[in-house]
Amino acid sequence: MNAHLADTPVLETERLLLRAPQAGDYPAWRDFLCSARGNFVGGGSDVDVGRAWRAFSAITGHWTLRGFGMFVFSDRGSGQPLGACGPWYPEDWPEREIGWSVWHPSSEGNGYAQEAARAVLSHVFSDLGWATAVSYIDAANIRSQNLARRLGAALDRTASRPDPDDLVFRHRPGAATP
Amino acid sequence: MTTTISIPTIETERLRLRSPKPSDLDAYIAYRASARSRFVGGPNTADEAFSMLCSIVGQWQLRGYGRWMVAQKDTDDPLGVVGIYHPLEWPEPEIGWTVFEHAEGKGVAYEAALATRDFAYRTLGWKTIVSLVADENQRSVALARRMGCKRENVFQHSEFGDLPVWRHPGAEEGRP
Repeated sequence: MNAHLADTPVLETERLLLRAPQAGDYPAWRDFLCSARGNFVGGGSDVDVGRAWRAFSAITGHWTLRGFGMFVFSDRGSGQPLGACGPWYPEDWPEREIGWSVWHPSSEGNGYAQEAARAVLSHVFSDLGWATAVSYIDAANIRSQNLARRLGAALDRTASRPDPDDLVFRHRPGAATP
Repeated sequence: MTTTISIPTIETERLRLRSPKPSDLDAYIAYRASARSRFVGGPNTADEAFSMLCSIVGQWQLRGYGRWMVAQKDTDDPLGVVGIYHPLEWPEPEIGWTVFEHAEGKGVAYEAALATRDFAYRTLGWKTIVSLVADENQRSVALARRMGCKRENVFQHSEFGDLPVWRHPGAEEGRP
């Protein structure tokens, strides 16, 4: 008898496929996390690969322990993994978050994160039936704040947050029009 | 396209080695918060413990082998974590064992570690395997000896310091 990471949903958008992480995604994730692009998600150019490896395995295991987790979004044509987006709820998070990252600089500016996040928001509100979710975004991460606003999220000044330097953006069902 | 992780379930006389699951979290967080985790990087916060339990599952995906939650066969009560631990920076895969406080002194680690070694040799077809055991961890040193391991050399880890390498009897040598 095998314990499967079974029935993980697959979401499709015009250009992207969103699915649970697979081992083949690790090199692209590692290169992202161990670069300055990983600064806002616990990575950075001074971060060793062991940390990237543990973080990747934790992303996978989150699916098993919470029943939901971070999707990797890939190009529907080539299958190439481009980034991650999905619900995230580690032990010290005050509530369930929607997070996103675009891994390679060449993938940035194409609206991939927005496309993925709209699919994820629709998934958590329609399929999982959540009433709300937040995004914790570093006060210095202007790009992500702009994306949160485009997704219809509103700044929540009173919500508790894992890090005092985070801003809390609150998503609500129907706020992100497809 | 759906992602699947296969974590086999193994049953021994008294134990079930199975995938971690949400109901194991409290026991694992309590263990990681206690002084019992001092030889394996602890004590840790609840958040760190959560990530570590997640990583136990994730290593199966990245390596194709990993560690199990060891549960009491009849009640499914989690007793510890045993299996093949192989993070990126490790010199080679090792049989690792951890037993929660309420399960100590009952031979749980021994029974689960033997099942793990059997899995490594018979199912995975490996010829050799080690365990990394800190010298100060006297209970684990005693278990390594009981399993017929021989202290070979010392792996120096950037964070955890000196980790002596204990080599198990090989697949061809039979069980001690």
